[in-house]
Amino acid sequence: MNRTMPRDVREVIREEPLMHRPILEAVAAGPMTVPQIAEAIGCPPREVLYWVMGMRRYGKLVTSVDPDDDGYYTFTAVDGGVPS
Amino acid sequence: MDYDVLVVGSGIAGMESAIKLGDMGKKVLMVEREGSVGGRVILLSKVFPTLDCASCITTPRMAASIHHDNITPWTYSEVEAIRRNPDGSFKVTVQRKARYVDEAACTGCQLCEPACTVAVPDEFNYDLIARRAAYIPFPQAVPKKAVIQREGTSPCTDTCPAGIKAHGYVSLTRSGKYEEAFQLILEATPLVGTLGRACYAPCEGECTRGDLEGTLPIRRIKRFVADRHYASYDGPNVTPDEPNGKAVAIVGSGPAGLTAAWQLARKGYRVKIFEADKEPGGFLRYALPTYRLPQEVVAQDIANVTALGVEIAVNAPVQDLDALKLDGFDAVLLATGTPLSTSMGVPGEQMKGVLGGLDFLRDVRHGTVPEMRGKKVVIVGGGNVAMDAARTSRRLGAQETLVAYRRGREEMPAHKAEVDDAEAEGVKFQFLVAPVEVVGDASGKVTGLRCQRMELGQPDASGRRRPQPVPGSDFVIPCDVVVAAIGMSPDTAMFTRLLSLGEGRRIKVDAKTLQTEVPYIFAAGDVVTGPSDITQAVGHGRRAAHFIDRWLQDQPMDGFFALDDRLAVIDKAKVMARQKSFSHRDPVTLSLQHEVAPQDFHEIEPALTEEEALRGAGSCLDCGVCSECGQCVAVCPPDAIHLDAKPETFELEVGAVVLATGFKLFDAALKEDYGFGKYPNVITATQMDRQLAPTRPFNNILRPSDGRVPDRIAYVSCVGSRDKTVGNPLCSKICCMYTAKQNQLIMGALPLADVSVHYMDVRAAGKRYEEFYEQAKAMGANYIKGRVSKITELENGNLILRYEDIDQGGAITEAEYDLVVLAVGVQPNHEAEKLFPDETLHLDDFFFVNEQNDDLSPGETNLPGVFVAGAASGAKDIVDSILHAGSAVAQAASHLEKASAKKVSV
Repeated sequence: MNRTMPRDVREVIREEPLMHRPILEAVAAGPMTVPQIAEAIGCPPREVLYWVMGMRRYGKLVTSVDPDDDGYYTFTAVDGGVPS
Repeated sequence: MDYDVLVVGSGIAGMESAIKLGDMGKKVLMVEREGSVGGRVILLSKVFPTLDCASCITTPRMAASIHHDNITPWTYSEVEAIRRNPDGSFKVTVQRKARYVDEAACTGCQLCEPACTVAVPDEFNYDLIARRAAYIPFPQAVPKKAVIQREGTSPCTDTCPAGIKAHGYVSLTRSGKYEEAFQLILEATPLVGTLGRACYAPCEGECTRGDLEGTLPIRRIKRFVADRHYASYDGPNVTPDEPNGKAVAIVGSGPAGLTAAWQLARKGYRVKIFEADKEPGGFLRYALPTYRLPQEVVAQDIANVTALGVEIAVNAPVQDLDALKLDGFDAVLLATGTPLSTSMGVPGEQMKGVLGGLDFLRDVRHGTVPEMRGKKVVIVGGGNVAMDAARTSRRLGAQETLVAYRRGREEMPAHKAEVDDAEAEGVKFQFLVAPVEVVGDASGKVTGLRCQRMELGQPDASGRRRPQPVPGSDFVIPCDVVVAAIGMSPDTAMFTRLLSLGEGRRIKVDAKTLQTEVPYIFAAGDVVTGPSDITQAVGHGRRAAHFIDRWLQDQPMDGFFALDDRLAVIDKAKVMARQKSFSHRDPVTLSLQHEVAPQDFHEIEPALTEEEALRGAGSCLDCGVCSECGQCVAVCPPDAIHLDAKPETFELEVGAVVLATGFKLFDAALKEDYGFGKYPNVITATQMDRQLAPTRPFNNILRPSDGRVPDRIAYVSCVGSRDKTVGNPLCSKICCMYTAKQNQLIMGALPLADVSVHYMDVRAAGKRYEEFYEQAKAMGANYIKGRVSKITELENGNLILRYEDIDQGGAITEAEYDLVVLAVGVQPNHEAEKLFPDETLHLDDFFFVNEQNDDLSPGETNLPGVFVAGAASGAKDIVDSILHAGSAVAQAASHLEKASAKKVSV
């Protein structure tokens, strides 16, 4: 875990529209958890959670019904993973 | 009297007060600063000790307060001042902030939200998730009407003389909506590719990011979206309105004329442009060298105009404006620019080898320029045309190019980048020299330019220091060609039969409408303003089109919101203050590789790659919040969104005031030892309540560091309450019970999770509160007595709590959890005391609104006729807030009755 101070929440959230494309490209290969998306796009999981939850809220991603054995839900693109 | 009572705030106490007063027959104005009534209660999961659904108990009150016959609810409004009248009533000033949404038309469909391109923290979810600048506060909002959060015009947009919504196309680009970005710019002008290259980008000069690492590449983002569009579409991809039967003639096809034609054609006008030269474009075609603006880009932009049916007649100079009227044109726009080069007015100017700056550039385009190869060229002047001429001469093979300017480098009117680029291409400069004679040989060919040295005196009308000749300082600069680029002027002689000319032979117009003294004739661009730049001319053309349309449609000559009467520009300090910190972002910079002796006219500036465009746009700070991208407007089915709305301020008379301004929550970051804001998995209890609510931000209870469902959850009680170290010795009363509530809800949602509570003592004073606390323990909540001294984070995001375990003999103990919830306390809300500019509202020792006698007369403040309800007077749970509101209501009703009786007796 990065021990430096987390970025300001406003700054992270402001980037959400910019991150739609790389996240949708990442999950196009199949459902992914927050840590898996974070690794795929090279960003901290904390920031990825903000982005995927925003995308879920506004209809770009859906979550799995149940978490996996490690306690993580997976995310899938609503429209089949095609970046807009 | 407008209203019997003003109720400030619409939380549970405000709603209760308004409803009860309304039921008594009192006319109530209830003012709420947010977009919905409901306050904090509606955001809760459930309420203690009944575990009733918070929405179920609150929404009926919300609906009642909105629909009550005697209550006028003003949401998204602010009470600015309350002043006492001599008779004891009050004059209140209330601002209804602009929602930018017609409440009557908005259906609450929420289509505007996913369309919006600006993401901001959702304060109704305590920043756990993003919302959009276009938003409905929460799903149960009453009224369920959207709000567009506009805090001002973004500086980039505000400064654009063409009224182009720079923030809008940047946010669209950031969202990958490149064509939408192009279309947004098209709303202002068809010259998207041109401005993407040749605009001097005042937007970038105002960019707030410029105060950090450097400005966004706003102009080049414009070029990026233009290039993307032209690679995919033949035309503008715009459908004009149906023909309206009226026709407009436009004289001149420069940026003002083309923009006006574009705007009018979109509105259904038949437009014909008359261009004196052999190709359309004016300065774009003939004055701007192709290394700055390729001709194919000009052609693409002009094709946008002709695609709408605009006819362009070339080689068609207009001499007789009356004839245009007789030919059936309902209005005429003169946009002929400043095509004449200004003479130096020195002897020898007629010699072979002396050229005007514009003439020189035009000759280059026509292919009729004299041979330059191997020649020494002197450019006289310090403006942009001088720089263009100098750099052009380098490309034509001039052996040496020298710019002679009568002031110093700092006083040059040319843009700095142009001067720097010219220098990089080998152009030399001689400052503080003015021409006095062109020297030639017997055949009349130029051999030199006699100059006089100058020195700078006092500033002149332009603000620049006035050059003054130094006597006896004449000298000759040997040269073969002299290009006089000292100014440009309009060619307006043919219009003087109908129109008056002003200074510099410019056409006189009304500054706002650009209408001349002949009503059907308008004028725009440099022929009115004198030499300016493309973007200003575009703005002028746009303005002229608007007012031509208003005049031809017999409408009032107003309503030009694109440039007039915009929302005030946002203060950059306010933008910067929104964040506690800014991480560094490498700016997208432009690094041009200049050749000292350039050989051709190929475009110098490279296009942004898509990665650069996204990275650049991604640096935008969303200064005004709403970017004015217009996506919400485009998707709104009832056309309810109006970004030109304005706030309204009202002065109202009321008989009494009930303050129900509620409380504030302690800022957990102030307890630095607990790591809130530093460790992602330390959250507040209000954030947990949102996670537990049916309208929660996530799909389940998750830890913020990685989205995992937590197994071990700890609560830390009394954070920011009963704590003198943070200045609040008071008990917040509600924390113990909401902790017990959340314990039970968590154990219901996550049956396998362990929940511990680190507490000092539990205060369960209320009906069935003790039983409720025992119920939590019985369900499995592990209560550990002892203050937590410090929280630290492990590599995996888990947290170590260090605490004194009283029940184990006071041993210093550490325990590991994967989520920690801080039970934050209640603090006074300092809004109420600011409402009375003429008198002082007394506060108690802890800065809550003081009740004169809270034993015998709860709700009564020191100000006659002003009452307080709910947690504004101190920490209260929901039940006590409702009871307290009842007392305030009774006090207010009694006050009104006494005041009424007093008037009758008088």
